[in-house]
Amino acid sequence: MNKGDPKELWEYVLTQIELSISPANFNTWFRNSFIVKISEDGVVHIGVPSQFFKDWYLKKFHTLLLKIIRDVSYEFRNIEYVIVKDENRRLSKEVKNVRGALELPLDDFYINKSDNLNPRYTFDTFVIGSFNNLAYAAAQAVLARPGITYNPLFIYGDTGRGKTHLIQAIGNQYKKQYPGQKVFYLTSEKFVVDYTDSVQAGTANRFKDKYRHYDLLIMDDIQFLSKKERSEEELFHLFNALHDMNKQIIFSSDRSPIAIPDITERLKGRLASGMTIDIGEPDPESRMAIVRKKAASHGVLLSDEVIEYVAVSMNGSIRELEGMVNSIICHAQVKGFAPDIMEVRQSLRSFTRPQKNISIKNIVDKIAEFYNIDEESIYEKTRRREVVRPRQIIMYILREDFHISYPTIGTKLGGRDHTTVIHSCEKIKREMVVDSELEKEIQNIRTLLV
Amino acid sequence: MYISNYYLIFQCYPPIHTLNKNCMNISIEKKKFSEAVHIVARFAQRKITTLPALSSILIIAGDDGIKMRATNLETGIDFKLKGECTEKGVVAISALLLQQIASSLTQEGKIILEHIGDIVSITSGTSKSSIKTTPYDDFPSIPFPESSKNRIVLPGSILRSLFTTIAPCASSSTVRPELSSIYLSIEGGILTAVATDSFRLAEKKVPLTNKGIQGKFLIPAKNALDIAQALPNEDIIMSFDEHQCAFISNDGMLVSRLTNAVYPDYRQIIPKESVVEAIVLRKDFENALKRTIIFSDLFQKIRINFDPKKNLFSFFTRNADIGESIETLPARISGSALELSFNHRYLSAVLSLTGSESISILAVGIGRPLIIKGVGDTSLLYLVSPMNQ
Repeated sequence: MNKGDPKELWEYVLTQIELSISPANFNTWFRNSFIVKISEDGVVHIGVPSQFFKDWYLKKFHTLLLKIIRDVSYEFRNIEYVIVKDENRRLSKEVKNVRGALELPLDDFYINKSDNLNPRYTFDTFVIGSFNNLAYAAAQAVLARPGITYNPLFIYGDTGRGKTHLIQAIGNQYKKQYPGQKVFYLTSEKFVVDYTDSVQAGTANRFKDKYRHYDLLIMDDIQFLSKKERSEEELFHLFNALHDMNKQIIFSSDRSPIAIPDITERLKGRLASGMTIDIGEPDPESRMAIVRKKAASHGVLLSDEVIEYVAVSMNGSIRELEGMVNSIICHAQVKGFAPDIMEVRQSLRSFTRPQKNISIKNIVDKIAEFYNIDEESIYEKTRRREVVRPRQIIMYILREDFHISYPTIGTKLGGRDHTTVIHSCEKIKREMVVDSELEKEIQNIRTLLV
Repeated sequence: MYISNYYLIFQCYPPIHTLNKNCMNISIEKKKFSEAVHIVARFAQRKITTLPALSSILIIAGDDGIKMRATNLETGIDFKLKGECTEKGVVAISALLLQQIASSLTQEGKIILEHIGDIVSITSGTSKSSIKTTPYDDFPSIPFPESSKNRIVLPGSILRSLFTTIAPCASSSTVRPELSSIYLSIEGGILTAVATDSFRLAEKKVPLTNKGIQGKFLIPAKNALDIAQALPNEDIIMSFDEHQCAFISNDGMLVSRLTNAVYPDYRQIIPKESVVEAIVLRKDFENALKRTIIFSDLFQKIRINFDPKKNLFSFFTRNADIGESIETLPARISGSALELSFNHRYLSAVLSLTGSESISILAVGIGRPLIIKGVGDTSLLYLVSPMNQ
């Protein structure tokens, strides 16, 4: 027997006790108890359901229990009895009410006001796939040692990839693991509004204090902070204060910290100073898992065929995927059975949308505008310096980001030879390595094109 | 004054084993005896499968009178009754048996309990019955709240009506222990009791005489109902700590385990504003509801309609197999027209919660809960969640 394992120890204790007391006594007093933990100084904590049990254990069974565990090992010095929380009690199974409950439960209205977290977002409902398992692992690491392992944790990814779900789940789990610690979730937009309000009301100091006492601060959609200089500065100071006190901070954004436009350098650096993780596009298997889980949570069982069709035919965000599943579930509830593949195909027609296309002309427009030059001059044969550079950058971006062939780029940009294009791309690539200004310019251009 | 004396007595209660074990002789008035048995037997375990001591009533005749005790490890009672004690002693008798004897007692007069060996003989008038006792060594002690600071005094009749009206609103399922409990909070001289099963919520307030005390706890609704039945009308002391609460009166003491869980912050789901309010006579409401629900369907659905133009409030039910019914009642309606569906059981539940002549019904919008209050009765707030369609 492994005497360090509470479960095994308790089982041994039970077998010994069963021999020395009557079955009725045993069933009454020992069925709902268990060892909660064995502390390092050798005190065994036994969890009991109520005060009745605690008193009676102390009065009747204490010496017997002590003798039994002492026989196991002298390391055990004492026994203490604790009354366990009701959620931890083992409850008898009960028959579920089969009457179709159509009432909306009041719970759904819940958003906890003190921490802003939506209790619906938990790790139980979070689907882990290859696209987000790194982010999930980082979240677990943060929960294990908040404020120390990865601080700040920066999670980014396109809309509808489950960023908000993940960071709120961290918040909810943190609350469970560290009761008494203060968690706060907010969006950056809320932060800005809060700040401007406090400035208006002349209570900027209270604003500072309010955010500084949280043990875990979660800020969603940080990209909306761009161009709001005062709020950025306030966040910068808040960040420093929290980081100095080893308080965990979590950010999310739709792009990496470097790619957020119009945000001060010092804040950018700090955002990226901890752990930066990208949630990629979910692979088809993960999408299928998400569809299945979502449908199952509403009590609808979909056939594998339908799940696969839904997961494959939609390549948008998880949010859209959920919308689609919701519409299927709605159909199922109205008709009373799960729809087959034909019906699903029919009902999902409305969800399919045309692929988003960016024309070369569009890109040329944007970049010419960025450099403040005439768009026509890009197509011309001119070799003026202020035109040549943007032209090369256009070529580079068309090649790198949009994978257009060299000859096509050449012909589209005023009938140039493909070797010219190759040369331009290589040149920009080379220069970017050494010239950080250029790199920043290109990053800024990329954000324009998203 | 007497109450606080009792409190002290209980604390220094003589241990059972100092009393004479196999010899007891007491005589009690029949009426008192059967009343006491009916109250106490409720607290004994109803199933006889487990420890026999738990389904027994312990009768103690000691220096401070005659007492009956019972517990099912959730709740416990220590009940005092008047009688003559010629020989002190302790005995445990099956609660079911005592209940049957007590309900069969007729006529006035006294009943004499005599304990010799492991037999108790009960003599009443000309009849005499001998009962086998159960071993009382296993009878558990009844725990008392540790800190005596958290104590409030209030009339037992008020607490009883509070518990009996609000307990049915708690959830009957044990999946979420906090929802199958009544939430009691004491703040600023007001005792607030809340129960919800997540489809409807009832909040009731009672003013207290002593203002300084603060605290909150969750008492299982089932236990609260048992305790309510045993509460006397006069003032009682309610005392509580983290795990136990006790209700102390001249007649004895009642204790219950408390639910050890966090109650959801229910205040935030109570809507702050409303779009329409209807004030109807309680009698109209009750009768109309009674007639309409005959036609309600499997889901017990009832549709309500606010018509501010004509000042009419109406109920509508339809059952595909039976037919349909509409009841219109005059009301004072202010706000915009609205139609919502509810489970009729949840609507009629409000009638037992308030005694006021007219009731006010406030709606917030489609898909949002309905608020029902008694006009002139600020103590009650009742919230019902609508049906999905």
